Amino acid sequence: MIALIRRRPAPFCALISFAVILLVWQMAVDFGFVKAFFISSPSRVAFELVRQAKSGELLTNLSVTLYEFIVGLVFAVVIGGFLGLMASWSETIQHILDPFIWFKYSSPTIAFYPMFVAWLGLGEPTIIVMAFLFAVTPIYANTLSGIKNTDPDLIRAAVAFGARRHDLFFKVSLPGSAPLLIAGLRLAVGRALTGVVAAELFGAAAGLGFSMSYYGQKLRTTEMMASLVVIMILGVIFTQGLGALEARVDRWRTGPVR
Amino acid sequence: MTALTSTAPVARIHREPFFKRHHRPIVSTLSVLCFLLLWEVAAMQGWVNARFTSQPTQVYKAALVIFAKDDFAWHCGVSFVSFALGFAMALAVSIPLGLYLGVSRRGRLFIEPPLMALYTAPRIVLLPILIVWLGIGLGSKVAIVFLGAVFPIMVNTMAGVRGADHRLLTAARAFGATRMDIFLKVLVPGSLPAILMGVRLGVGRGVLSVVVGEMFVSEAGIGHQIMTYGQAMQFNNLLVYAFTISLFGYGLTVAVRMLEDRIRSWRPSA
Repeated sequence: MIALIRRRPAPFCALISFAVILLVWQMAVDFGFVKAFFISSPSRVAFELVRQAKSGELLTNLSVTLYEFIVGLVFAVVIGGFLGLMASWSETIQHILDPFIWFKYSSPTIAFYPMFVAWLGLGEPTIIVMAFLFAVTPIYANTLSGIKNTDPDLIRAAVAFGARRHDLFFKVSLPGSAPLLIAGLRLAVGRALTGVVAAELFGAAAGLGFSMSYYGQKLRTTEMMASLVVIMILGVIFTQGLGALEARVDRWRTGPVR
Repeated sequence: MTALTSTAPVARIHREPFFKRHHRPIVSTLSVLCFLLLWEVAAMQGWVNARFTSQPTQVYKAALVIFAKDDFAWHCGVSFVSFALGFAMALAVSIPLGLYLGVSRRGRLFIEPPLMALYTAPRIVLLPILIVWLGIGLGSKVAIVFLGAVFPIMVNTMAGVRGADHRLLTAARAFGATRMDIFLKVLVPGSLPAILMGVRLGVGRGVLSVVVGEMFVSEAGIGHQIMTYGQAMQFNNLLVYAFTISLFGYGLTVAVRMLEDRIRSWRPSA
């Protein structure tokens, strides 16, 4: 057991960290430092989650949100990754895309939400598009900068050994940029989830975001926290999964990586 | 062209063709112009419904009216104050925290998981709770901007420190650098590009947060106006405000990017 913890400490430390937070949260309410109306409490949230799970409410909301999230994210990865590759391949394409990408970066996507509702109607298609739009920029930007910022020494070495452009790309730039690509995916997961939930807050018939806005209007903190916890768990699962992938992809690096 | 280059090789060496020297701005400008033209023509020709897509010329006309009336400057001021306060707080917290997490394995093990949980959770959803805690108005908006901007900067700072060139670290150690030296003279400068990239991302998130915050709760500000015009299906007016806030974000992003390019210039290039 101890050996296992020593070998892979990350999950255990995370567990301890969350346990401390839950404990402090519960005690703050139980000892009356903060009113339960404001922050609810872990025990209340747990009971609420059980109730929602039994009534099927949880499953419905979860599956709707997950579906919209995944479809949006897949579109973002495919399109963002493709555009990023194209832009890293050719300066002209990068310059053509530049103004739009930077506009997309700095413009608050949600401001255009009413227009998407007018085009696609309230609900699923609009929510998926919002998730896509939220997630696509970090994927594009990290693909591009990951491939462009390859260690110049590696490139020089590869060129010296007769690498062609094609080799440089597949054997140097792409593996070299893996950490940034996955960092981009990490960002995109968070943003896609934000996009889905934000769009669901504005208008939906089901989903975790809908549930939050529904209970939020009634000032029911416990029910809101329950949905929030589910969304956080989703985010953590995806992030941790990507973290594991990142470590695996990065294993070939030698030397004292800190 | 061939004749010109063959008779004046010296001139060619000293002056590249105009297009080549200004490749980026020319291509970017052309691409935007093409887009605007297509948008205008598509709406004019009835390929798309102009009521739903608006039109560059219509937006321009709406802008002239809004700049003159509609308390435009005041709404911008309201949004700017919330953004500036929240973003300043985010910078003050995220960079030290990111540097610490990048250096400290223990910090990463214990502090990162809850922060990442908060990071991946849509913090927009905290808005109703923040309103209960801080009231409608400046406080909750500043808080949501802070929460929006703080995480991208922190995550990138951390990634920058962790991605530091290990040969530089080895070299620094070989020349007897202390831990503090390594931190201040290798890790911090080495991670500056990553930090600035995080700031760039953070600008976008901060601007988004201020708009969302105002769309939900505010009585004033750009987000409030966007919500009002969106509900009235007045997309010309909506776009004026949406482009204004986008332009603000764009300007700030470009400024950070210029800084980034300057800082990157000391690095050897391929």
